[in-house]
Amino acid sequence: MKKLFCMLLALVMLASCAVSAVAEEKYLGVMLSTNVMSLDTNLATDGESFEVIADCIDGLMQMDADGAAIPAIAESYDLSDDGTVYTFHLRDAKWSNGAAVTAKDFEFAWKRIAKEAGEYAYLLDTSVGCVKNADAIIYEGADPDTLGVKAIDDKTFEVTLEVPVSFFPSLMYFPTFYPINEEFYNSLEEGTYGTSPETFLCNGAFVLEDYTPGTATLSVKKNADYWDADRVKLDGIKYQVVGSSDNALTAYRTGALDLVTISGNQVAAAQKDASLSQSLKVTGAGYMWYLSFSQTEKNAQNGKLANANLRLAITNAIDRDNLVDNYVMDGSLATYTAVPPQFAASSTTGEDFSADQDAFLDYVGYDPEKALEYFETAKAELGVDSFEFTMIYGNNEGDEVAKVAQAIKEDVEDALPGLVINLQPMTKAERLDKMQNDNYDVALTRWGPDYADPMTYLGMWITDNSNNYGFWSNAEYDQLIKDCTIGAYITDYDARWAALFEAETLVMQEAVIAPLYTKANANLITSGVAGVEFHPVALNRVYKNATIE
Amino acid sequence: MLKYVLKRIGMALLTLLIITFLLFFLVRVMPGNPFPSERMSAEQIANKRAEMGLDDPILTQFVRYMGNVLQGDFGKGTSLYNGAPIKTVLSTAISNSFRIGGAAIVLGTLVGLLLGITAALNKGKFLDGFCTVFSILGVCVPSYVFLIFLQYTFSFKIPFFPYFFDPTRFAFSAVIPSLSLSLFTMSTIARFTRNEMVEVFDSDYVRLAEAKGMYGRKLVLKHVLRNALIPIVTVLAPLVVDLLTGALVVEKIYGINGIGKLMVDAIAGEGIDYNYVLALGILYSALYIGIMLVVDLLYGVLDPRIRVSAKGEEA
Repeated sequence: MKKLFCMLLALVMLASCAVSAVAEEKYLGVMLSTNVMSLDTNLATDGESFEVIADCIDGLMQMDADGAAIPAIAESYDLSDDGTVYTFHLRDAKWSNGAAVTAKDFEFAWKRIAKEAGEYAYLLDTSVGCVKNADAIIYEGADPDTLGVKAIDDKTFEVTLEVPVSFFPSLMYFPTFYPINEEFYNSLEEGTYGTSPETFLCNGAFVLEDYTPGTATLSVKKNADYWDADRVKLDGIKYQVVGSSDNALTAYRTGALDLVTISGNQVAAAQKDASLSQSLKVTGAGYMWYLSFSQTEKNAQNGKLANANLRLAITNAIDRDNLVDNYVMDGSLATYTAVPPQFAASSTTGEDFSADQDAFLDYVGYDPEKALEYFETAKAELGVDSFEFTMIYGNNEGDEVAKVAQAIKEDVEDALPGLVINLQPMTKAERLDKMQNDNYDVALTRWGPDYADPMTYLGMWITDNSNNYGFWSNAEYDQLIKDCTIGAYITDYDARWAALFEAETLVMQEAVIAPLYTKANANLITSGVAGVEFHPVALNRVYKNATIE
Repeated sequence: MLKYVLKRIGMALLTLLIITFLLFFLVRVMPGNPFPSERMSAEQIANKRAEMGLDDPILTQFVRYMGNVLQGDFGKGTSLYNGAPIKTVLSTAISNSFRIGGAAIVLGTLVGLLLGITAALNKGKFLDGFCTVFSILGVCVPSYVFLIFLQYTFSFKIPFFPYFFDPTRFAFSAVIPSLSLSLFTMSTIARFTRNEMVEVFDSDYVRLAEAKGMYGRKLVLKHVLRNALIPIVTVLAPLVVDLLTGALVVEKIYGINGIGKLMVDAIAGEGIDYNYVLALGILYSALYIGIMLVVDLLYGVLDPRIRVSAKGEEA
């Protein structure tokens, strides 16, 4: 009997040890604002998906805490003297099925991106990455095997570019350029890659643990076979899609989540609450909100907004400080440049491209008197005294957007008597549809940087670009952008930087757009959690260095 | 009877086909792009449209679509969870919504019946008043308000249940959403049961049964409840569809990957996803039509007179 009792006692103790071991697993609870749409690099288009893909897969390069590109799967790389051939030397790394990560995996994945010609295939074309022959494959259906990438051997991956691209290494941390194991991919039923932990191979800091498409919860766990496993301190991450920010705040308070994003009007309350103000961390979200003006004849009363003075009048009538302080309220920055601050720094001087927010004060700022002057000139030029425009905005793009639209309407109508702005809310899908079909006057819209170079914004306003929603066209501008992409400035970094600024000046001079604010995220992070790295571009959150006390 | 059933099923299938065609056509004239993209060129988007066959004549598209659907293939999303077959995504969502909704229906109906019977048997007394107040409250308070109350009380103040839905602990985390969803059904059923039973108690045949010396459980179950059930089944049918197809707000707040949430994502996401809207539309319609069919047939079981009159109609 005594023996039995002892055995039972031992069993209970063992069991309790097991239970406490489970309880001590350090999983970080993280909020996602929307569902992960796809884990396939060819199909993913949203920040949430990119974040989870990057948890699980390493590319040639990775981001350091400041967003600079540092080696990942590539141990090092050589660049040819003419700047067009990159030779990446791969380190020993393993996929989660034990196979080695080889140069072939990159070759396969990149060719697939070009062949499928999805949303982010453009990162390979001559507007960005300039990989040899990418344009012909993506836009003209040429043979994907002609893409300028080649696995020299298992450990050497060679990329040939059309022209030198100064920021090419920093593109390598973007998921579009991540590897996929060809053999594994081909062993799957068509259309099932990345739809479950079984159909998704990982070589990164974490492996996919629990996921089905459309799920509101997913988790990744530490990859013991990761090449840099010692650095990863978390046991895993448990993601939860949270629909409303009110719910996010309560979930944070219960301890259900360790990292949540709250809305602007909760920030003020959080700052007053001693227990929360300590945990508040404002990080740059990257994307910039701006007004787009349609300049074509069919909109805005027969193309009235083609008049630069009228656009300048509007952009000078908007009190951006008021917008961010009283309506957005989450730490977003009032923005007076066509390229927002925080994401693109010069690699020679290290200075942020848009550090100087006063650079264009002559053309944009809050100055109702100047706005009125522009307005009078515009009225004289157009021979009209009154204007009525419709401004479209999305009603499912954040709580603050409707308030911002209302504030802009009030500012503009106050400063410019005779100009009426009618607000028209709609879904984001409808807003995009209207803009893409050039069926709007003014739109409240946003753009986030895809890569760490001002071109991710400035490339939009060249003639015939699909994102040039205003249909503005300027030959001088087009030439400058061409010179910076494939022409005269591509080998002279500082000259290119200066030319980009010149191009931006043209946009601001004519108020092609009215920049409003650069979005921030107000995060709450549980005390004891450290090392989560936030980036305004590419990968918004990186957990490789994160720790929980 | 068999002819009647077959005719009913035939009608149901025809209705479903017409609804599907209307949906197929309407979704294509809705504002929004099936391939929402700010990065693809016009040619890229045109290629994607061509790949999906969206440029063919609508009848050709419809016939092809129906052919695939009959083989159980709903295609892939155009913008939503692209890559994964809709079947995969939908089956998880259906399983979640049906299990949670199913639990809510069973709970709501059982407790509702119990409350209704109690109230009817105690007509005019305290218990009747209590049940009436409860039903009014239950009908008036939206399920998501009750959900927030439960979530706040039993996941936050007293942290017993998980704060969000956790598919790995299904039963445990389904308690709060099922309970909050059941409230409306419970109240509606309780109210109808009480009123119907009170009416039936006053009817001549129950008086006769009482006069014959029947009383107690036998009287209530065999004569009163059975006759009171007919209108209740009618109310229950749409409730069942509502609950099975997911309560959108509850799913959103509690983080449940269900059908209601999927529908909103399909319409109000970045673009409008034709294939998801269609698949879900067919699902909703099929459920509604199917349950109405079951109700029609159930009437026959509950009240043979309905069966007889249907026969008469045929003749």
